[in-house]
Amino acid sequence: MTDGMASVLIVEDDESTRSLIRANLTAHGYVVAEASSAAEAFRALDAGRPDAIVLDLGLPDRDGMTVIRRVRSESTTPILVLSARDTEAQKVAALEGGADDYVTKPIGLAELRARIAALLRRAGGPAADGSGVLALGPVRLDAGRRTVTVSGRPVDLTPREYELLKVLLSHPGRVVTSGRLLRAVWGTAYAEEGHYLHVYVSRLRRKLVAADPSSDVRDLFAAEPRVGYRVRSP
Amino acid sequence: MVELSMQARLHAVLRRRGAPAVVGAARSTIRHVLTRLLPVARPQLAPRRLLLMALLAAASLGAASAVVAILESQLAIPDASTVYIVAVVVMATVFGTMPAALTAAAAFVLYDYFFTQPFLTLFVSDSVEWVNLVLFLLIAVVVGRLAALQQERAADADRRAREARAVFAISRTLATASTVAEAAPAVLARLALDSGTARVWFAVGAPGAERTLLDSAPEVARPRPRSHWMLLRTPGDKPAQWLRTHVGADASMPPGRPAPSQQDDLFRVKIEADGSTVGSLWATRPTQAGVPNREETRLLALAADQLGLAVRRDELSAAATAAEVARQSDALKSALLTSVSHDLRTPLAGIRAAAGSLMDPEVPWSADGTRETARAIDVEADRLNRLVQNLLDLSRIEAGVLRPDHEALDLEDLVESVVARLAPLFDGRSVEVDLPPNLPPVRGDAVYLDQVLANLLENAARHAGRGARVLVSARVIGAGTSGADAVVALLIEDSGPGVAAEALPRIFEKFQRVARGADESRRGMGVGLSLVQGFVAAMGGTVRAGRSVSLGGLAVEIHLPVDELPLDADDPIRPPAEVFA
Repeated sequence: MTDGMASVLIVEDDESTRSLIRANLTAHGYVVAEASSAAEAFRALDAGRPDAIVLDLGLPDRDGMTVIRRVRSESTTPILVLSARDTEAQKVAALEGGADDYVTKPIGLAELRARIAALLRRAGGPAADGSGVLALGPVRLDAGRRTVTVSGRPVDLTPREYELLKVLLSHPGRVVTSGRLLRAVWGTAYAEEGHYLHVYVSRLRRKLVAADPSSDVRDLFAAEPRVGYRVRSP
Repeated sequence: MVELSMQARLHAVLRRRGAPAVVGAARSTIRHVLTRLLPVARPQLAPRRLLLMALLAAASLGAASAVVAILESQLAIPDASTVYIVAVVVMATVFGTMPAALTAAAAFVLYDYFFTQPFLTLFVSDSVEWVNLVLFLLIAVVVGRLAALQQERAADADRRAREARAVFAISRTLATASTVAEAAPAVLARLALDSGTARVWFAVGAPGAERTLLDSAPEVARPRPRSHWMLLRTPGDKPAQWLRTHVGADASMPPGRPAPSQQDDLFRVKIEADGSTVGSLWATRPTQAGVPNREETRLLALAADQLGLAVRRDELSAAATAAEVARQSDALKSALLTSVSHDLRTPLAGIRAAAGSLMDPEVPWSADGTRETARAIDVEADRLNRLVQNLLDLSRIEAGVLRPDHEALDLEDLVESVVARLAPLFDGRSVEVDLPPNLPPVRGDAVYLDQVLANLLENAARHAGRGARVLVSARVIGAGTSGADAVVALLIEDSGPGVAAEALPRIFEKFQRVARGADESRRGMGVGLSLVQGFVAAMGGTVRAGRSVSLGGLAVEIHLPVDELPLDADDPIRPPAEVFA
């Protein structure tokens, strides 16, 4: 599954990992630029804006977060973060700082490619006003009328579930952190609700599945433990 | 003839007892009488006792006199004075030497007065009769003394037997009990009983810093008199002595408040073992009872030594246990190294072999063959990754540094996600999920619980054999269906061969590879189940294994606390929130 001449910037200090990824992506039709440090990444960004960025957080010269901030200050270029296992705090910080998804090392190249493709596929930006319609898979959320349907069948959601779904649908192909979900639905003063987020989302999913069990709506959002939820790309 | 009879009697006595015994008896009699005549502090005879003595003396002498009268007058026996000896022996047996001697003297007077010519006077006409009378007195006194000695010896033997029994009982209790604390109450009670002490306690530690280990009356405060008696034991056969010690000379006083009055004396026996002081045995006795006698002292000393030995034995036993624990932990570390060695090297070997042949220019690979080999590398690398992660998790559990989240989790969601992810392991088999529709949320950590479920399902897949069934079910148990005590029981069962009943208790131990059925070849390091236990425990739950009633194989049941959602108050519809923070 190639994506025409999409360009990807790989920022990774480990030579062998970087060259492996480059070789693989190139074989699949991507144009690949490389950087082995944050400084090199900035130079590459100055030279031209890539369509997607694969960023290792553990860079030798500066924290990967600085690259994220630089990119976000200029654009909404999708950023896929490479992280080591058991560094949830780092992942969450990256996601909340503007990264869109993450892949855990050791990396499966097929998975990496799939995630890059998903990021490149997602529809433009999220609806900025509340009157638009958010759609993903069989789910349609009409913000103006506050209705939700799955394969055309209406679903009855509580106010909280509705807000949850809205946030999730607004981030297709990305990972939404638990923090972001909680802030969006409960406001910054959420306290013990965080404790029950998993249950709320599970109930939401159950209702969506019940509306159309034959659809694939169950895979719409998948729990990423200790981080948040990954939303399927359109 | 009378002389003959007296001599004959004397001879008879000599023959039976032997000369040394008689001489010894005579000597001890004189000593005994003298010590009693001299004013020495002796316990005063109670008036009641004196009265009893007088009565018995009168009765026995009277009876003897009557018999003598009958014998001499009716039966014409010339000298029946020996009948009085019976009375003397009676008095000796009951009251001891002195009363017997007095009775002998009284008998002498009676025989002189009533039965010696001239009758009814103390005057004796015949000098031979006089000699007979004196001899009679001597014999009576000596026989009395012998009888009294016999009695004393019998009493002595009794005391010794009692002492021996007490010693044996204490030794036996201490020898058979597994710790000193266990034996203490019996020992101290026995000691208090047999050594005439009111209260006993046993303290361990260096002088000046003793800590009470056992007390026969722990709830009462211990007395603190200004002085106490200490047992001075010298090597050799010299008997031990009690020495009065004042505070300051030896500053190791028993902890407690100062006694307001001194009705009790405090006695102390120091216990030494291996040349160092182990502690002391303390005992209180009423002051008027005096210092413990030889038997009581011996008993206290013995008990003290035995307790010291028992304490030493306890210390050695604890050291031995610690050494055994260390040894077993070393054994486990060896097992770990062996396991790690083997189980990590196996996939590595596979990876190197595959990579090596891929690199080999001589090998004619087809595109499919190459892809297959590469896939094998990928699979083995994945397995290696999981093994390493398992080991890391296990070491985190061991170090107690797990930091589980505590959030409410939807079990149905978790179970379905794990089952879906592990589906490739189960081709040919079915994993049935049977969860009640309104299962309340459980409190736990999503990552750990996912891993627990994955481990258990992988286990089932590995062991249950082709075509076996695996069932995941749950039910709520506990106070109603909500509230603090409610628990969700999650059950994973398979229809495989199961685990033998005797192996079940150890199934969660590290590195156990329990034989299931005839399948001896098992992959994995045997850490899966101990990870399950570690994670479940960290989340505040419990896990146990048994035989599946419905499917016949292994059943693992996990209990997790319910974390019910607070009632969902319907809040008013919020204005569209700014979604991008």
